Amino acid sequence: MVQYQEQLDRTFAALSDPTRRGILERLGRGQATISELAEPFGISLTGLKKHVQVLEDAGLVRTEKIGRTRWCSLGPHELDEVQRWIVGYRLMLEERLDRLGELLERTKGQES
Amino acid sequence: MTDQQQTQVTTVAAQSDREIVTERVFDAPREKVFQAFVDPELIPHWWGPRGITTTVDKMDVREGGDWRFTCDGPDGATAFRGTYREISPPERLEQTFEWEGMPGHVLVESATFEDLGGRTKVTTRSLFHTTEERDGMLASGMEGGLSESYERLDELLAAGGTED
Repeated sequence: MVQYQEQLDRTFAALSDPTRRGILERLGRGQATISELAEPFGISLTGLKKHVQVLEDAGLVRTEKIGRTRWCSLGPHELDEVQRWIVGYRLMLEERLDRLGELLERTKGQES
Repeated sequence: MTDQQQTQVTTVAAQSDREIVTERVFDAPREKVFQAFVDPELIPHWWGPRGITTTVDKMDVREGGDWRFTCDGPDGATAFRGTYREISPPERLEQTFEWEGMPGHVLVESATFEDLGGRTKVTTRSLFHTTEERDGMLASGMEGGLSESYERLDELLAAGGTED
């Protein structure tokens, strides 16, 4: 159960970033090199490598160096559509509650 | 007067692999917190991700009534919908929740509101279902069995920590 929770936490942490979610979407259509991945996001290769590393640690992406090129593909813990939806829902739920707290704070003292 | 003192961080406990539970304490009276969930004028102020404009298309707050919210953002618009199943002010709400981008995957969301004397503890539970399960559940009033999708999720999560 602890292992399961740790994997879940790593997965959620990895997917909490829109660039990383975009990388997974792109890799869902087939493998790509680091520079191919970096281009649509308009970020540096170094920045992109960091995102890929987080995804790799979570088992969501695997990379392989062939010659001078590093290829990325979906990893052993590839999420299917349903699982991505569940992860997205949880992130949205937490943000919703954060914003509710802010709204209540802003309207403190006012009648509901 | 920091935000951390006012609102406790969500604690999330997975009761089952298909359920998400959050608990949060808000520094506001229970009636006011409950109202934020059922008032169409308040929903756009908090419901949905930051940087997104949430519009209430429909909000028929009664048991069996439907709701539909549209979220407009930089990546386009998407919509969420569902049906209210329980309205018990100011204690409990329950509704179904479906993302139109992925029809057929329905979850049941509930929120309970506990009066802590000026502060309010909100516990949310979200249980994921497939359409078949939802239909069976609504027909029988009971929960259905595990679907194949969620068995696969179980397997995925059970595989955590093992190298392959």
